[in-house]
Amino acid sequence: MTNSSLTTITAKPVPEETQSCWSCGTMRAVHFCQACGKVQPPSPVDYFTFFGLPRKLNLDLAALEKDFYELSRKLHPDLNARAGSREQEWSLQQSSLLNDAHRTLKDPIKRTQYLLQLEGVELEEQSKTATEQARSTGQIKKQIVPPDLLEEVFELNMQLEELRMHKKMGEDDPALIEEIGRQKLALDGKQESLLRELEYDWKMWDGMIQREHNGQPVSEEERKQERDKMVDLLNRRNYIRNLVRDVDEALEN
Amino acid sequence: MSYSDKVIDHYNNPRNVGSMDKSSADVGTGLVGAPECGDVMKLQIKVNRETNVIEEARFKTFGCGSAIASSSLATEWVKGKTVEEALTIKNMDIVKELSLPPVKIHCSVLAEDAIRAAIGDWKKKQESAKPVASAVAQ
Repeated sequence: MTNSSLTTITAKPVPEETQSCWSCGTMRAVHFCQACGKVQPPSPVDYFTFFGLPRKLNLDLAALEKDFYELSRKLHPDLNARAGSREQEWSLQQSSLLNDAHRTLKDPIKRTQYLLQLEGVELEEQSKTATEQARSTGQIKKQIVPPDLLEEVFELNMQLEELRMHKKMGEDDPALIEEIGRQKLALDGKQESLLRELEYDWKMWDGMIQREHNGQPVSEEERKQERDKMVDLLNRRNYIRNLVRDVDEALEN
Repeated sequence: MSYSDKVIDHYNNPRNVGSMDKSSADVGTGLVGAPECGDVMKLQIKVNRETNVIEEARFKTFGCGSAIASSSLATEWVKGKTVEEALTIKNMDIVKELSLPPVKIHCSVLAEDAIRAAIGDWKKKQESAKPVASAVAQ
């Protein structure tokens, strides 16, 4: 096991925090020594670094899967069952990190959320932050999603409630079902176009990271602008996702 | 996670559910959402023009039990208060009253937002009503 066929790991420069292999002394990758194959203690790296990837959002998913399966094999605790207990422990920790990293990076939404989190965006805190701002300035809080989307969400929810009520009473309302069915199609289309919009944002982000990598300075303002576009999109998507879920539920029951 | 008794009470017997005429000059409407969970909340207040006291409040919320309880409590609290008094209600007051766990704090934030948005809408109506009133008087 002197040579790894890992596509991305070998292509990337070894991260700075990497030291020499605890066992044979040569340089190691973050997971296992490329020279002697021993599992290494987990180092505190983010998921992109774990897979040897830059912080870009357009991923070669096929390469990610390939790396995932190869690393799974090499880091599997069972494989290291006969190794020292220390190695077995590392193997367990590395495997669990590998699974988390894989699950996060392969999903387009989770990947985007994770990157934003690495960039310091607190998605869960934005509403609270905006409220605190409004309170201290006495201004009306700026809603994080556009008012017309809120209006739409509210109206559709009213219709869904009506539908549920009819069903509960054993009444049939074909016109309402048809209307909700139409809305459902529109929502599916919206979800699709949000994903396309997200892919475009990825392209812009990746281009910026590449420029930075090539030594061109990227201003904090530009970074923020690219981040904000994705935050805005994820926020809108949350509403659409909930609506699709609720419509499906209401139509099925 | 389990809901507190107060949340369950508001959830099972929500106070002041419903709506009022959005176009009425005395009614302020706030429609707000929490992007973290996709909940939406509509809160309406009816204000006495002479005293600035909120005489009626209605809400309709699509969301989890905590969001429903937060808005139900918010309508109870604003009723009988003046507009300025109602603006002093903070989300943490709601958290305390309902014993909301940290993951549900955003529900209380939503309720505070809804109060502010409804009052903001009402204030806007009062300002834009002034020139119209004087025009009618002439």
